[in-house]
Amino acid sequence: MLLQFQNVSYRYEGAEAWALQQIDLAIAEGEYVLVAGASGSGKSTFCRLATGLAPQFHGGELQGRVTVAGLDTRETPVHRLFGHVGLVFQNTDAQLFNRSVEDELRFGLESRGVEPVEIGERLAWVSGMLNLDPLRDRPPHQLSGGEKQRVILGAILALRPRLLLLDEPFTHLDPEGAETLRASLKTLPGAGMAVIVVEHRLQEVVADVERLIIFHQGRLAADGPPRQVLGRDLTGCQVNLPPLYFLFRETIAESPPPLSVSEAFELLQAHPTAKPAVTARRDLCPSPAGDTPQRATRPLVEVRDLHFDYQGREILRGVDFQIHSGECLALLGRNGAGKTTLVKHLNGLLKPCRGAVKIAGHDARPLRTWDLARRIGFAWQNPNDQLFKTTVREEVLIGPRLLRTLDESWCKRLFERFRLAPLLDRSPFRLSEGEKKRVAFATALAARPELLVLDEPTAGQDETFRRELAALIRELREEGKTIVLVTHDLEFAADQAPRWLVLAGGRIRADGPPDAVMADQGLMKTAGLRPTQRFEFFQLLRKAAGVETAKNECPKIP
Amino acid sequence: MPENPLTLDPRSKLILALAAAVVLGALDHWPSLLAAAGLLLAVIGWLGRQRGLVQFFKGLGPAVLGFFAVAWLAFDFFPALTAAARLLDLGLLFFLFFQTTSPKGLSQALVRLGLPYSFGFVLTVSLEFIPVLARRAANIRDAQRSRGIPLEAGWRGLRYLPALLGPLLIQAFKLADEMAEALEARGFGSAGRRPGGELHFRFPDWIAVVLSVSLLAAFLLWY
Repeated sequence: MLLQFQNVSYRYEGAEAWALQQIDLAIAEGEYVLVAGASGSGKSTFCRLATGLAPQFHGGELQGRVTVAGLDTRETPVHRLFGHVGLVFQNTDAQLFNRSVEDELRFGLESRGVEPVEIGERLAWVSGMLNLDPLRDRPPHQLSGGEKQRVILGAILALRPRLLLLDEPFTHLDPEGAETLRASLKTLPGAGMAVIVVEHRLQEVVADVERLIIFHQGRLAADGPPRQVLGRDLTGCQVNLPPLYFLFRETIAESPPPLSVSEAFELLQAHPTAKPAVTARRDLCPSPAGDTPQRATRPLVEVRDLHFDYQGREILRGVDFQIHSGECLALLGRNGAGKTTLVKHLNGLLKPCRGAVKIAGHDARPLRTWDLARRIGFAWQNPNDQLFKTTVREEVLIGPRLLRTLDESWCKRLFERFRLAPLLDRSPFRLSEGEKKRVAFATALAARPELLVLDEPTAGQDETFRRELAALIRELREEGKTIVLVTHDLEFAADQAPRWLVLAGGRIRADGPPDAVMADQGLMKTAGLRPTQRFEFFQLLRKAAGVETAKNECPKIP
Repeated sequence: MPENPLTLDPRSKLILALAAAVVLGALDHWPSLLAAAGLLLAVIGWLGRQRGLVQFFKGLGPAVLGFFAVAWLAFDFFPALTAAARLLDLGLLFFLFFQTTSPKGLSQALVRLGLPYSFGFVLTVSLEFIPVLARRAANIRDAQRSRGIPLEAGWRGLRYLPALLGPLLIQAFKLADEMAEALEARGFGSAGRRPGGELHFRFPDWIAVVLSVSLLAAFLLWY
C-alpha cells in the first residue's frame, strides 16, 4: 500500500482534544480519493500526517503508525517522504516563492539535484499537461487564482510523486478555474499516481473519484465508493453534499443518489413515478420566489457610467446599475473581472476615474469612507484582516463607537444572533476560523448599515456555516436590509439572490434572475461561469418534456 | 524585469555599488554630493529605470527632508544639507542597484561569494514577499476603513496604526509558517541541491571590478 494509517490518533502540541482518532485506512497506487468533512473534522491534519509534517513539524502526540511507500513518517525525514508524496497546500501565496513561473517549476527539481537535461524534459511534460507555457516568464504573484493553483500543481507534479494530496484546492477558484483543475486531476490516476483531494465542496469532484472518505469530529465516518457512501444518511457530518443528493434522497431514497446531472436524469427516467415529487421540489430549484424589489422607491445605490483604471489597465469600463432597498443580489464573474473593485466604490475605498456613484441620492465622490461606512457595511472574505483588539466585545464595538452610531441594544442582539455572548471577553485571535467569521459579520453589522456587502462568504466554509449564513441573509432581508453577495458559489447565489449581476471584461454583461442568466450559454462562457447542477437538471427535464427552454430573458447591456 | 543593459554579473554590480557607497559615505562636501545625486539620476534615466522613481521618492523624500530639518536644528544649514544629500545619494544608489539586479541574481552572487545557500535564499524570498505583504497591508487597511477605523495618512491614522500592524504581523508569521512547510514539500531540506541559472563573470565584469577598486583606492589615497 502506498499510504497506510494503522490505528492512528494524533493531537497537536498543547491540545487536549485529539484531532484524529483511531484511523485505519490504506490508499493504493492509481486510486482517486475524495476526503470530505466539516471544518475541524481533521482533514488538514490527515494531510499533515500523510506527509510527516505532523508530528515532525507540528510536534504533538502520535499514536499508531503512518507509512508512505513503506516508510514510517515518524522516523523518515520529511524531505525524503516528499520524494514519494506531493502536497498542494491551501494557501497559494505561501507556495510561490520564486520570481518567475519557470523558476517555480524548477525549484523542487533543483533541490533534489535532478540533472539539467531531465529538468528540461519534466518541465516540458508538466507544461504541456497543465498548459503552463504561456505563463513561464510571468511573476507568480501576478497570476489569477486558477493560474496560481495550476503552477503549484505543476511544480509538485514535476517531482513525479507517487501520491498527490491536494488540501481544499477548489476553495478560491472561480467556476472556470475549478473546471480546468478538475479536468487536469482526472488524468492523473490513469498514469498510476494516487490522488487524494481534500475538499468541502463534494460536487466539484465526487463524480470523478472512485472512493469517498468522510471525516467527522476526528473519526472516520464513512469510507467506500461514492454511491455507497452517499447512500447513507450523512446529514450529521456537515459536509457540503451535492444539491442533487438532497433532491433524490427525499424522493427516490431506495436508489443510490446520482453523482452527475446526466445520472440524475437517467435515474428519473427509470423511476417515472417519482417525477412529480422531484419536480414539485421548487424550493430546490434556482430563482428563489417571493422577492419583489421595491423598484418604486429611490434607489439606494446608483452607479452610472463607472470607469476605473489601475496601473494603466481598464478594470471597469462604463458600469451602470441600481440597487433598491431590500434587494439581495449576487455579483458574479471570474477572478479578476473587477467585482471587488466595483464594490469598493460603494463605500469610497475607490473613487471613479469617470462616471458617478450615488448612495441614497448623495454623490459618493466627495464623501469619505468614514461617512459611507454608516450606510454600507462590508464583511470581507478573510476575517483575519481586521482582528486587532484584545476582546471580541471591543472588536465588535470599535466600529460603531468611531462612527458614532453605537446602539447597545442592537449590539446585544448581534451578540446573541452570532452566538458571541460566551466569547465576548476572549481574545479574537484565539477563536476558531468559523468563530472569527461570525465576529466579522457582527462587526460589519454593528454600525447598522442599510446595505451589507458579503465578499465570498461561503469560501472554505462547511455546511453548518452555509446554513447559518442562509438563515442570516433571510433574517436581514426580512428586516429590510439590502445585500450584495460577491461570490463564485453559484449554488449559494441561486438559493439566496433573486437577481444576478454578471461582470465580464469590465462591464455588466447581464442583470436578471438566475434562470435567465444561466440559460444564456454564450454569456455564461464569456463570464467564465458554469450553471448550477439543479438548473442543468431542470433544463434537461424541460427539454425532455418538450417544454421550450428558458430564452434569453436576461436584459443585456451592450 | 529584464536584466540591465550592461549585462553585468550581479557580483561585479555588488562590488561597484559597495565601492560607490564607500565614496558617498566619505564625501563631506555638499556640492559634490548633489552632483553625485545628479549623476545617479542621469544613470537611472539612461538605463530607463525611472519607472518607480516617483514611488521611491514618496518614501525617501520625507525621510531626507526630516533628516535635513533635524540636522539643521541640531547643527547648521550646510552640515544638514551635506547629511541630507548623502542620504539621498545612498538611497538612489540602492534604488539603481535593485532596479538592475533581481533578488535571485543577488542571492546567487552572495552564495558564489561564499555565503550559505539558505542565507541567499532567505534574502531572495524576503525581497519577493515585499509585494505580497504590501498587498495584504492594503487589504487590511481597506477592511479596517470599511468599518470606520480611520487609517488615512496623518496623525489620526497613526493613532490607529495597531489596527493595521496587528493583523499584518500575525498574517506575516502565519505566512512564514506555511511557507516553511511548502518549502519542505519541495525538497528544500534535502542535500545535493543543483542550482540552475549559473552566473557568468565576463570581460566587462572584470573591467567594472578593476575600475571600481582602482578608483576607490585612488579616492581613499587622495581624500
